[in-house]
Amino acid sequence: MDGIGIAMKKGSAESVASTEANFACAIQSELQRPYEPRFSRAWTLAGSAAVISSLSTSASLAADAGSFAEPVAAALAAYSLADLATGVYHWFVDNYGDASTPVFGAQIDAFQGHHRYPATITRREPCNNLHALARAIAFALPAVDAAASAAAAPAAAHAFAGVFAACLVLSQQFHSWAHENPRRLPPGVEALQAAGVLVSRAQHAAHHRAPYNNNYCIVSGMWNGLLDRHRVFEVLEMVVFFRTGVRPRSWDEPDAAWTENTTVTAIAATAKAGNE
Amino acid sequence: MAFAATTVCRPSLLLSPRARGQPPRALLCTPSTSAFRGAVTAAPPALLTAPRRRAASTGIVCGKVSKGSVPPSFTLKDQDGKTVSLSKFKGKPVVVYFYPADETPGCTKQACAFRDSYEKFKKAGAEVIGISGDDAASHKAFAKKYRLPFTLLSDEGNRVRKEWGVPSDLFGTLPGRQTYVLDNKGVVQYIYNNQFQPEKHIGETLKILQSI
Repeated sequence: MDGIGIAMKKGSAESVASTEANFACAIQSELQRPYEPRFSRAWTLAGSAAVISSLSTSASLAADAGSFAEPVAAALAAYSLADLATGVYHWFVDNYGDASTPVFGAQIDAFQGHHRYPATITRREPCNNLHALARAIAFALPAVDAAASAAAAPAAAHAFAGVFAACLVLSQQFHSWAHENPRRLPPGVEALQAAGVLVSRAQHAAHHRAPYNNNYCIVSGMWNGLLDRHRVFEVLEMVVFFRTGVRPRSWDEPDAAWTENTTVTAIAATAKAGNE
Repeated sequence: MAFAATTVCRPSLLLSPRARGQPPRALLCTPSTSAFRGAVTAAPPALLTAPRRRAASTGIVCGKVSKGSVPPSFTLKDQDGKTVSLSKFKGKPVVVYFYPADETPGCTKQACAFRDSYEKFKKAGAEVIGISGDDAASHKAFAKKYRLPFTLLSDEGNRVRKEWGVPSDLFGTLPGRQTYVLDNKGVVQYIYNNQFQPEKHIGETLKILQSI
């Protein structure tokens, strides 16, 4: 990390370029995971296939039934509930457990890494960001669809499942876009963020600032206002505390492992600006 | 008469004089659950209106503390381990606030709010006492960390909380956050309950203190 410090002082174009290389290495070694996980593209494809299959089942059922109103309504409900679900899950992994927790340990570790280096999510390939969720969906969604088909459920059920799953997988992409510089966003995304269809950069930035206890939802962010105004997570935290004695991380000063490394963030910003 | 319907009063006849430090085995009234925000308990038709000065000696405690009643006295340890009795504050108004636990966000906000307005309470001649189930060590650390100038008492086993009938929230999962304003004769003049807007306790109680 000394090279980075020296390069920061130099500030010249060459040193900025070399700091970017140093930065990538530093991030890799800090996070101690491969830059491109194995089969990330395959899992992303598998998850996408599951979603498309679910949606086409829904579409054909709807066409047979002659009405698309219910599936569309179900899709909207799924989009809304996915936002809530990401909020609850995010609150849970941000506040409880650690890398050694069974089942959730890897995710908690990943979220911790993200809080420490928020910008790296924007530097990863989409497949890298999405593959873990896509893998879960690749298994879970076909099972849900099969059960729904077996129960002769209507188009709306498949639409709900497919859209819910799609929103969960894409939540990491929406999350990444919420960290991205507006000029680097694909066309239309900034407008969607401003319209509240996708979680906005401002909302999500509030989550990465003290007191680190709000704006947990990352699909559209539509539930953030309600949840924060009514202190829903604080209630849950109090209940968990009085039931189990476990304090959530957000009650105490953030420990170093979860605190953003602003030096690295600054370098990332400088390096990107140098590229443009 | 919802109060009567929800309150169970079971006096026990064979109570030996309470040994020091032993929790009374008097059977207490089950308090009704209160609303989250700003539930002000008016004086209900009380089952026992006579002042209960020394509940321990009769062994019968019945009816939660309500406006117009004199609450049972307590003797608890403060953050320095010293024993403090409610009766010691006779002659001046007292604000007794029950809170869930030290070092939780709401309670910290509330304690800090009382601290920041402490001068106003002193000007009104009132004393402020915070009570929770935490032990003296926890209170000491809490008071030190946030520079709290008032007394925090350890209600071990939440005995006093139950005696006074402080209602809990969320179907018993959360200890309630309720504040009592006692006048200089030791009579309850105001009760304010609000779990999730803890800072409001300060404004509401100051308003009352200014009028009594």
